[in-house]
Amino acid sequence: MRLLRLRLANYRGIDESEVQFGPNGLTIVEGPNETGKTSLSEAIGLLFDYLDSSKHRSVDAVRPIHHDAGPEIELEAESGPYRFTYFKRFYKKPETTLTIKSPNPENHTGREAHERATEILRETIDIDLWKALCIQQGETIQQANLSKQTSLSAALDIAAGGHQADPREESLFDKVREEYGRYFTERGTQKKELQEAQKAQAESEAEVVSLEKQIKNLEKDIVRAADLGLELERLKKQEQDLRRDLSEYTKSLDEIKGLETVLETARLKLESAQKSEQAAKRDKALRQDLIDAVSKAQKAHTELEESSKSSTASVKKAETDMERAQSDSAIAEAKRKEAESLLNLRRSDFDYFNNKLHLEQLKERKERIDRVREEAALADEVLTKNSVDEETLKAIQKAERSLITAQAMLETGAPNILLRGLTDLDFQIDGEHTTIAKDEERSLTVSDRIRVTIPGSLQMDLRAGSSSSDLLKRVEQAKQKLDAACNDAGVSNADEARQSFEARREAQQTIARRKEIKKENLRDLTYEELERKVIGLGKGVPAYPTARVLEPNLPPNLESAKEELRNAEAGLEKAGKAWEEARTELDSARKVRDGLRQRYQKVRVELDLKADELKRVEDELSRSRRDTPDDDLESELFKCTKAAHKEEENVKSAEANLCGKEPDRVRTLAETAKGSLQTVEKKREAAQQENTEVRTRLKIFGEEGLHEKLQAAKSHLNYIRQENKAMIRRTSAAKLLYITMKEERDKARRAYVAPLKKKIERLGRLVFNDSFEVEVTENLSVASRTMDGCNVPFDSLSGGTKEQISLISRLACAMTVSKDGGVSLILDDALGYTDPERLKLMGAVLAKASQECQIIILTCVPDRYSNIGEATVVRLG
Amino acid sequence: MERNEHVTRFLHTGDWQLGMTRHFFSEGVQERFAQSRFDAIRELGRIAKEEDCQFMVVCGDVFESNLVDRKTVSRSIEALKDVHVPVYLLPGNHDPLNAASVYRATTFLERKPPHVHVIESTNPIRVDEGIEIIGIPWTSKRPLQDLVASVTGQLEAAVDTLRVCVAHGMVDILSPNPDDPALISLDAAKKAIAHKKIHYLALGDRHSLTEVGDSGCVWYAGTPEQTDYNEVKPGFALVVTINEDDVTTKEVDIGRWKFIERDQIDLNTKEDIDALRVWVENLGDKERTVVKLRFVGGLSLSLHSELEELIYHVQEILGAVETRMDNLVVIPEDADFTDFGFSGFASNTVERLRSNVEDSGPDAVTSRDALALLVRLAGREL
Repeated sequence: MRLLRLRLANYRGIDESEVQFGPNGLTIVEGPNETGKTSLSEAIGLLFDYLDSSKHRSVDAVRPIHHDAGPEIELEAESGPYRFTYFKRFYKKPETTLTIKSPNPENHTGREAHERATEILRETIDIDLWKALCIQQGETIQQANLSKQTSLSAALDIAAGGHQADPREESLFDKVREEYGRYFTERGTQKKELQEAQKAQAESEAEVVSLEKQIKNLEKDIVRAADLGLELERLKKQEQDLRRDLSEYTKSLDEIKGLETVLETARLKLESAQKSEQAAKRDKALRQDLIDAVSKAQKAHTELEESSKSSTASVKKAETDMERAQSDSAIAEAKRKEAESLLNLRRSDFDYFNNKLHLEQLKERKERIDRVREEAALADEVLTKNSVDEETLKAIQKAERSLITAQAMLETGAPNILLRGLTDLDFQIDGEHTTIAKDEERSLTVSDRIRVTIPGSLQMDLRAGSSSSDLLKRVEQAKQKLDAACNDAGVSNADEARQSFEARREAQQTIARRKEIKKENLRDLTYEELERKVIGLGKGVPAYPTARVLEPNLPPNLESAKEELRNAEAGLEKAGKAWEEARTELDSARKVRDGLRQRYQKVRVELDLKADELKRVEDELSRSRRDTPDDDLESELFKCTKAAHKEEENVKSAEANLCGKEPDRVRTLAETAKGSLQTVEKKREAAQQENTEVRTRLKIFGEEGLHEKLQAAKSHLNYIRQENKAMIRRTSAAKLLYITMKEERDKARRAYVAPLKKKIERLGRLVFNDSFEVEVTENLSVASRTMDGCNVPFDSLSGGTKEQISLISRLACAMTVSKDGGVSLILDDALGYTDPERLKLMGAVLAKASQECQIIILTCVPDRYSNIGEATVVRLG
Repeated sequence: MERNEHVTRFLHTGDWQLGMTRHFFSEGVQERFAQSRFDAIRELGRIAKEEDCQFMVVCGDVFESNLVDRKTVSRSIEALKDVHVPVYLLPGNHDPLNAASVYRATTFLERKPPHVHVIESTNPIRVDEGIEIIGIPWTSKRPLQDLVASVTGQLEAAVDTLRVCVAHGMVDILSPNPDDPALISLDAAKKAIAHKKIHYLALGDRHSLTEVGDSGCVWYAGTPEQTDYNEVKPGFALVVTINEDDVTTKEVDIGRWKFIERDQIDLNTKEDIDALRVWVENLGDKERTVVKLRFVGGLSLSLHSELEELIYHVQEILGAVETRMDNLVVIPEDADFTDFGFSGFASNTVERLRSNVEDSGPDAVTSRDALALLVRLAGREL
């Protein structure tokens, strides 16, 4: 739609005002405040929205203040194929006229005019969009709400390359949303109605469950009632049985009690009779005891008397025996003493001979010692004279060996003669006779000269050569040495030296032997002791034979003395033994006698006591018999025994009677029956109680019609379930339809967002820079701006930028829908927040946009729009 | 043996199930259904009179439950007051003679007219000269033995007396559960009849009129008013005439309610729906007719809407309608949407939902409903 001319009269403070708009591009309507700029855009709205008869407050608001006249609005415009003039006067003389010039001239008045105008408008423009895009003075410029603008949608659809959106689809979508809204909140939660339906179902279900439970309980009660009936019958029978049993037992127990009394009486009688019997028995026994005691005492007394007699005899005999033993013992002792004396004598005899021998030996030993003492003195003398000790001898022998060696060397150097006997022959060598045996050989050395003579036959002189002289000399020297040594030793030659040495050694040996002999003969004695002993013994020994008793004779020698000593010892031993035996015999006899004596004394005492006792019991017996004779006691006992037997029989019979009634068993059974009865009674009472309760419950609830109630509840539940099921189906369907359709719609929206975005960015780049981008939502509003890579949400942008982008967005929309069904954009003092620099750039934007749609700017600050290029300027006021 | 001259005629019925409710009935229909059963009592009374019956035996399950409402008891007694022959009521498995027995309820005892008798034991009940009833009441819901065999086993052969045995329970040859200890042995019953211990065995429990065996002496009278779909021959009573040698029976139609179950109703075209409509139109006594319909086939959205409308209408006129649509496929077709001429997101929405339906995924039903909703909303719009 393009606005060509608008005239207002009697409108608010305006008497009359008319504005001619540029048919294309920009129109700037300038004027100070209160010259009716804002009224221009407002008036267009009133013109189309309200009937001339409207009393709406919006209409009322524009009535002139100072005079009573109807506000008039007249608009000349083009929309789609139509060009028309539309006039309305409100309140005073209301009037509406519509004059259409093209395509076909039409004239309408009144309501018809209004309706036709509305129709044309609807047909050709999107009124809502138009209203949304226009900016009223004083409004903060915000983004237009474009979500429901069908013409914009249609245009965008086409721009997006799709079909033109069917406006009915948007309307259908509203219906779908409305349907959805019946069941769900905007946030998608179920509405109360749905929840209540489900609640009703749950309640109904609970009702059914509750009724079913009641019925189930009743059924349980029914079963229980049947069981209780049976149980009660059983218990009653049990109770009856038990009562019957108990009464029988009670009867038996009464009988038993009677029998027990009888038995008790019988037992008491028996006890009494038995006591009498026992008393009689006791009396009789006492009497008998007394009699027995007398007879026993008599017997004992007699026995004791006899025992006393035999005891006296025994004591006498024992005393005789003991006296004899005493004399035997004395004899034996004398004999033993005699043997002892003899033994002493014989021991002295033996000592005598022994000492005698000892004396001789001691004498000998003394002599031997004396003798060796003399020899030792002689040997000491030898030693004093003889100086040839071992060393001296060795020196002499060494000289001798040197001489022999020299002689041997002489012989070796001298000729040697070997003589061999052809027969046993006596001959002489150097005049000395010698013999040689047949086949004997003999060697002779000729040191100087040698003569062998076979007497009677031959004399042979053998001489050694001159070479033997040195050797001979050496022999001589050796001989001299030897001689000198011998001289020193006091001997004439080596042999003598040897003999002297021997003698000396012998003397030394003698001295040594003397010590040994002395030691041997002294033994453990010193010589002085030995001498003293010899002297002592020498005096004592010869004196003994004279001092000794004559008889018996001194034995001739040591051996016989020794023999006699042994005999005496044996004699003593024998006598000792005999004496020991006699003494033992005596002890035994004394013991026997003492024992018998003691016994005898005891018997005497007993006998005295017994005699007393006998007298006492005899007295007692006779006294007792005086009181009650024995026969009386006997007859009393007999009588009592008989009575006791009788009572015993009575007791036995009573016991048998009682036993026959099995009192223990009956009592136990009665007790048991009593207990059982109590138990059964309690059980029955409990069962009766329960039965009453159960039957009361059955009575109360059984006639409540639970069956029908349950069925009704089930039917109701069934109904609710079906209803709910249907409702759930409906709600599910509504939800699915809404969601699906919304998705599809959003998808379509997203598609046509693209061309709008493109337009906004194209315009925006004029103001901002080439990196300017916006994010446009499916509701066609700008969500954010991106510039130089920096994304800022729309709400966070500065007031100026918001204003600029909002305006750009409106311009883009207006441009989008301008071709077909386009609208003119009325901007009432927009860009108040925009700085002059931006203002200049925004001017370019407006200029650019105005190439595609009609833009009408109302302003009281004309300078603000000095950079908008070519424009129609209209001045008001 | 002297020939017995006795003859008797009585009305054999049972399974009145008074107080029965059906979950598919609305409250009003339920009331009518209940009323019909009280009416049936009066009708039975009328027939008894008309057929000159000496008495009436009700073979168990007189009441649906022992726990029926006082009102039900009162109304039953009011109906029984209009029966002018002696009535013998046998407690069955639904109304056993237990501690909660309806027959011992105060309402029943206080209001029971003198000609109405409850069979409370198996002692012979003398109805008239030479005519005895041997009743076998249930005292619990689950007897553990064949009560009939047990009772008849102890009877002596009837002399100069006609004996009607009144019992309740399933006969062994008809039972699907051969292990039930309470089953009535047909052989034993036949023996009892052969030995003249009883002359006729009047049975209740089975809701269909049924002759058991071929003796002509063992019958289920069935329920006088149908209670469920699976009953073969409900809605009858038997007029039984007995003499020493013979038993004759006569069926009497009483029931007014019909329970009709139709399986495999194939719906694919408009013609199919029309045929269904015609079938329903042709049903007689619609307000006492209960139908259960199981549909198969496939319908477009618009035909499905039509079907739903038809069912909605039928529900208003019949006693009750139960439908099973599990096997009925609703297929949104192009024709369902062409009228709208959508081209934008609404068109895409339709495509998406249709594709859901075709995929038979978890959302298929909901998608179909959503499509139906869309059609409805768009239709309102256009």
